Amino acid sequence: MEPPPVTTYAQLVLGPPGSGKTTYCKGMAEYLRGLGRDVAIINLDPAAPSTPYDATIDVAALVTTPAVAATHGLGPNGALIYAFEYLAANTDWLVAALRPHRGKYWLFDMPGQVELSTHNDAIRGLLSALTRGGGVRLAAVNLVDAAHCADVGKWVAALLVSITVMFQVELPIVNVLSKVDLVEAYGGLENIEQYAEGMDLEYLVGALDDDPRLTKYAALNRALVGLVDDYSHVRFQTLSITSQESVGALVKVVDKANGYMFSEMDAAGLMAARVP
Amino acid sequence: MAGSGKTTLLQALAAHLGATDTPAYLINVDPAVADLPYEPNIDIRDTVDYGAVMEDYQLGPNGAILTALNLFATRFDQVLDLVTARAPDVDYVLVDTPGQIETFTWSASGAIISEALAAALPTVVLFVVDTQRASSPMTFVSNMLYACSVLYKTRLPLVVVWNKVDVAPAGCAQGWMGDYDGLSDAIGDDPSFAGGLARSMALTLEVFYEAIRSVGVSALTGEGLPALLAAIADAAAEYEREVAPDVAARAAAAAAAAEERQQGHLASFRPSATGHGATSPTPPPR
Repeated sequence: MEPPPVTTYAQLVLGPPGSGKTTYCKGMAEYLRGLGRDVAIINLDPAAPSTPYDATIDVAALVTTPAVAATHGLGPNGALIYAFEYLAANTDWLVAALRPHRGKYWLFDMPGQVELSTHNDAIRGLLSALTRGGGVRLAAVNLVDAAHCADVGKWVAALLVSITVMFQVELPIVNVLSKVDLVEAYGGLENIEQYAEGMDLEYLVGALDDDPRLTKYAALNRALVGLVDDYSHVRFQTLSITSQESVGALVKVVDKANGYMFSEMDAAGLMAARVP
Repeated sequence: MAGSGKTTLLQALAAHLGATDTPAYLINVDPAVADLPYEPNIDIRDTVDYGAVMEDYQLGPNGAILTALNLFATRFDQVLDLVTARAPDVDYVLVDTPGQIETFTWSASGAIISEALAAALPTVVLFVVDTQRASSPMTFVSNMLYACSVLYKTRLPLVVVWNKVDVAPAGCAQGWMGDYDGLSDAIGDDPSFAGGLARSMALTLEVFYEAIRSVGVSALTGEGLPALLAAIADAAAEYEREVAPDVAARAAAAAAAAEERQQGHLASFRPSATGHGATSPTPPPR
């Protein structure tokens, strides 16, 4: 008799360079292992010189940007795109490398270039290879450095980028304001509670219109807020990776996004999820 | 975006302006570029050695670009001094930004550099798009959304520059701005999530197009450059109307706050009426 099919839950960690993806993967893995989950970290950034965590699978074994740059005389961006497209053309390497780790909890550390999400089918190709054959439940975690959301205009900009990413990966997405501990240390963000709880949309339109440089975009402000509302993207989770409480709260949200909370695998996790 | 032709465009613009006797001041802020086709007046690579940064700090390429920008931003006041000194003699200051757009749009140093420039001179943003790549409807919508995010981040007048029109297929990309039906047809009956989202976004973007200007150019052939200069002039006029008053108001508020702090410090150092001498200075207002 065939063994029952195994479901693998995973997070795809995305965000601009400097948003904290690699630190997130390290911290999140530590926390989840503390909950008893068997975590595998997969580094898919061909440009990362080394990782602070022990990568179960590292794309560096397949391709690295310095090697590409040297061989083909490309600059840093061209080399990254080439390397990632190379990976997308060789997904069987990745699928084979992942096979022995099915059933574990996967964390994918991704490169930060927006071109991969906007210009390029490489990510889509990669994701469809990963999820082909079923059994893999992915959620995208989109990190934005909290310091970049100092005012409403910047926050709308962050939302727009998040929608663009969501648009390309077609996965449930959890938006995260990272490094809130650092922001707190420098005086905090005015609207951080509202970002976390979900801003009232009329308030948001009003706040945008109040900015003297955005008043003239009144029609656009309204249209964007309407778009954001349609796709329920007003919420951002806040994260301080060094705080157990903060990471725990985020894990609950991601577990809902990728369906982990409905699995029966992790009694300890369910107990933890029940704690208010 | 990387590969859209920013540097080639800058070179073409500089050449065009040189030929028509309108001098331009050229600044390169891309620390990782290998060869520049123009001679910049100020070059970040003179201040920061990208390769050395990568090695010394054991950073990847993005980390190195961000660090190089950070180092440059700490000296940017010197750059501004140079630029404002030359401003009366030049009509245009052209700034070439790093290929990895997020290292500039989503970094503190990028924000410092653009806001410092905007506070000193009429500043407009040229968002350069590879028209050829953007002829896929999904890429088009993503690009336009990203342009929108840049508009909200910088709050500066924006010009979308459709580059490479010499190779781009007709009827697509730039044509889709203002042709919702055409774009909708191109997205097709895609019932996927992305298709539905693309259609909603396309409607929102209709409003975006009214807020910005767009021009088709070829940095290679020089097609469209006069139209681009006209769009820049229009954007500069918008700066004077909408942005300059805000900049002036903020500068005045900052000066007033500094003055107040100054007075507060002086007051705390004057001996009190009872002759007990100076009290501890008041903390600066938050």
